[in-house]
Amino acid sequence: MKWTNVRLIFLRELRDQLRDRRTLFTIAVLPLLLYPLLGMSFFYVSQFLHEKPTRVWFLGADALPDEPALIVCDESEKCVFSSEFCPKSQADLIELSADAPLDAATARKIAQEMAGVAPAGDASSQNGAARRSAARSSPTLSKLAQETMKSGKYDVVVYVPPDFAAKLARFQATLRPGGGESPSSDSDSNPSSPADVDVDAVPTPHIFANSASDKSRMAKLRVDDVLQRWRERIVESNLERSSVPVAATKPFELVTNDVAEDEMRRAAVWSKILPFVVLVWALTGAFYPAVDLCAGEKERGTLETLLSSPAQRSEIVWGKLLTIMTFSMLTSILNMLCMGFTGLFIMQKLGAGGMAATGLNLGPPPLASMGWLVLGLIPISAMFSALTLAIAAFARSTKEGQYYLMPLLLITLPLMMLPMLPAVQMDLGMSLIPVTGMMLLLRSLIEGQYADALRYSVPVVLVTAACCLASIRWAIDQFNNESVLFRESERFGLGTWLRHLVRDRRATPTVSEAVLCGVLVLVLRFFASLMAGQPDSWSELAIATSIMQVALIATPALLMTIVLTRDRRRTLLLSLGHPLAIPMAVLLALSLNPAVHLLSWAVQSLYPLSEGTKLAFQPLEEAIAGAPLWQLLLVMAVIPAVCEELAFRGFILSGMRHIGHKWAAIGLTALMFGVAHGILQQSLTAAATGFVIGYLAVQCGSIWPCIAYHVTNNAAAVLASRLTPETLSQYPALNWLFYFEPATSATGEAAGSLEFQAPLVIVASLLAVAILYWFRRIPFRPSDEERLQTALDRQSVPVTAK
Amino acid sequence: MIQVRELTKTYADLRRGQFVALEDVSFDAEQGQIYGLLGPNGAGKTTVLRILSTVLRPTSGTATLNGYDVLTQPALVRHQIGFVSTNTAVYDRMTAWEMVEYFGRLYGLDKDDLRGRMEDIFERLKMNEIRDVLGAKMSTGMKQKVSIARAIVHDPPVLIFDEATSGLDVLVARALLQTVAELRDHGKCIVFSTHIMREAERLCDRIAIMHRGHILAEGTLAELAETYHESDLEELFFQLISRHDEQRRDQQGHDGDAAAAESIHTMETRIA
Repeated sequence: MKWTNVRLIFLRELRDQLRDRRTLFTIAVLPLLLYPLLGMSFFYVSQFLHEKPTRVWFLGADALPDEPALIVCDESEKCVFSSEFCPKSQADLIELSADAPLDAATARKIAQEMAGVAPAGDASSQNGAARRSAARSSPTLSKLAQETMKSGKYDVVVYVPPDFAAKLARFQATLRPGGGESPSSDSDSNPSSPADVDVDAVPTPHIFANSASDKSRMAKLRVDDVLQRWRERIVESNLERSSVPVAATKPFELVTNDVAEDEMRRAAVWSKILPFVVLVWALTGAFYPAVDLCAGEKERGTLETLLSSPAQRSEIVWGKLLTIMTFSMLTSILNMLCMGFTGLFIMQKLGAGGMAATGLNLGPPPLASMGWLVLGLIPISAMFSALTLAIAAFARSTKEGQYYLMPLLLITLPLMMLPMLPAVQMDLGMSLIPVTGMMLLLRSLIEGQYADALRYSVPVVLVTAACCLASIRWAIDQFNNESVLFRESERFGLGTWLRHLVRDRRATPTVSEAVLCGVLVLVLRFFASLMAGQPDSWSELAIATSIMQVALIATPALLMTIVLTRDRRRTLLLSLGHPLAIPMAVLLALSLNPAVHLLSWAVQSLYPLSEGTKLAFQPLEEAIAGAPLWQLLLVMAVIPAVCEELAFRGFILSGMRHIGHKWAAIGLTALMFGVAHGILQQSLTAAATGFVIGYLAVQCGSIWPCIAYHVTNNAAAVLASRLTPETLSQYPALNWLFYFEPATSATGEAAGSLEFQAPLVIVASLLAVAILYWFRRIPFRPSDEERLQTALDRQSVPVTAK
Repeated sequence: MIQVRELTKTYADLRRGQFVALEDVSFDAEQGQIYGLLGPNGAGKTTVLRILSTVLRPTSGTATLNGYDVLTQPALVRHQIGFVSTNTAVYDRMTAWEMVEYFGRLYGLDKDDLRGRMEDIFERLKMNEIRDVLGAKMSTGMKQKVSIARAIVHDPPVLIFDEATSGLDVLVARALLQTVAELRDHGKCIVFSTHIMREAERLCDRIAIMHRGHILAEGTLAELAETYHESDLEELFFQLISRHDEQRRDQQGHDGDAAAAESIHTMETRIA
């Protein structure tokens, strides 16, 4: 690839976009106008905004006690909540209707329904709170309240039972001075001890609200506030009667001290807002130039001009990609700045008091956070630009290209919104999710949590880089794919398409069919694990594992092989291959075992298993510990090896080989193999093992060495789990190979963990390298696409004709 | 200069299975010669030329330009050709000068050499008055001139013109044919596709008559007249096409879709 050509294409496309008024408007003018306009309209709208009063239907006002008075009415019989419980600012927002009583029959029916609620039998054995919570509302009253609120007449209904005041008074009469001071010491001699006070004697007032209506919810909050204050006043009065000081209910205050400095608080707020804004605009900013540079060029007929020029497809893609990236970043940064300035200006104009009241002193974001954002924006912009470029290359016209924006947003928006949820914190799982991981990393950096950021920066950077490279590769492949570039509209029918799949099937699966198989296996496994319960015994575990392997992994791959390919033997790599390949694969698995063990240890040390996962595994480990060895080897080594190899190195890898890059095919298959292993920590090790097995499959062109490697690898793990310190003392020769790391409180293992002796690790690793070299020397059979790609890579550009 | 051997191109079609756009097409074109591809719309002329310009890949068969293979050495092939087609438009937001300069730079021409060459081409094609005109403001004739300038800026040994006079008025078309003839006189190997008999008769040294992805006849005008005992090219064209369609109908009646099945090839043999 010649970077001078990339530069030339980049500069041309950049100039072309800058000469396009639509692009300039979207990138530069729109953000400059949009936010001030939004700010202006916000000001105007805020002038018309006012809180609407809540309409309350108060039933049973006459049943309220005179002291303390909850409701007061003036001469014109207009009633309001007493100012003692409802401050003036709130009183204006509550329209109380206490003079619309129920008709006598309904009131009686409701009272009867209410009276029938309290259980008579074992009342004394329950405490008052539990009995009160058991009280149910009257169905008649519920229906009445529902209809009233539905008609829009009232927002909330309050009901006070007819005998409320009387029973409250009777209850208060039972309270005697000094009652609360020695509640349990002398209950016989003190009749007002809690055990004797019949709290159930006071009927329960009810508030009826509609949680499906915002207005009603707001009304309920306001009324609830007033009634709480009123109840507190009654409590105080009760305490006075019992001669208990009011302070007894609140003997001390809890004071919260915020240690965050102003800048830290600002960083915490901005760390949630800024990454989201930046990423959304990075995607939007990438899309329109991408559509113009691909679908637009197709429409204008200039794409073929460029394709017939000496520029290679990769140079064209890189040139266009850099242009899109430039616009993506510019859009993002400009929008961030414009939004920030407008937002700050409006906040200041709204007044510091308003902001202080909300506890949000939102000054400008710390300067360092802007630096981190721009740094994080580079890989994310590159990924979005490559994605949009690949998608836009597929579109025949700009109109069609714009349709693709919505699905892309629908896929990426949840990934951007996920880190904004309060419970989501950076961990290994989150760091492995594209976009989400980067947003969380940015958040940690902006908040100044550098230790956290450093710990997870490796997986985030690796995942982001892998996504970037994969997107760029996809974009280049799209530009190499003539059926994408010269796609013509065709009438689609499901039946026709299915017939086409079977009729025009190739010897081995296509890349899309391989991806489909991988996704199918992952989805089936996921739903099966959700539906299946936790196995209680070894036999249940063995049956569940075997069914899952055969039915959900091997069967989809075999069915797809039968239906979608012409050469099943070649697809599943059933030929025997090199005669020594199988024993060499077994030897390789054994010699790589210490390295796999080390990798597994490193992964678990860096990203330890959660307590929940450990607990979930405990019964399984116990079940496995008691299982017969041959059964364990069959279920844990042989069956997974056969089923997973048929699916992953058979169908999926055979399809992936059509990509045209051996290592990409092996890598993608290994990635799918890793993801299929449920637990993240296990997935990383499985992906590395999958990479080695994939290499064997490509070099040998046979599934058998892969199965042999897989069986040996799994069997070694099973056998290692059976080794105990006693076994080592029984067979002293084993001490040359292994030792037991003493148990620590951190590991929680009773017997300690089995480790390889250092000389064994070194010798085995050297042997593994030698065996891998042996495999490398086997002449492998490249796919047609790989041969073509090799030929293309070998061509050199001649001296220019003069 | 150009060797095309058994070139076949098939497309996957949801309804018809594999659609054969080109089948076993072979021909040779030499230096200082205009090789004409004459055929109605849908004959496969554009497919052949797109394969020669490496925009499309053949399903099977070989094509070499100046010794370079279109499938395995596409970048090298593109250095040897200049491609002008109805599908190779000019950039709306670039001036004539900028566009030709851009492609000259992509071909790796040195800045000073390029400038000298561009002055010469702009003079020769009488393009100086449109030097600073944006593509969007140009007429069809002006755009075609820019396309030719873009195709010859690196002085390639092979030039490919696909229906280059399509949509041009008589005067501009005449000037273009004159330019093509001059390029031939400068020793270029030119492949020129058209469906206009008059152009083929006037310009081409050798002609291949194409129909439904096949070459039905090939040779100089005199050879064609002698072989088919018909001196009128237009008459000969209709006779060949009618005969081919009749044969095809007869064959379809006999062996159904055997022809379609036969056209499915892999590219294994090409890149082994």
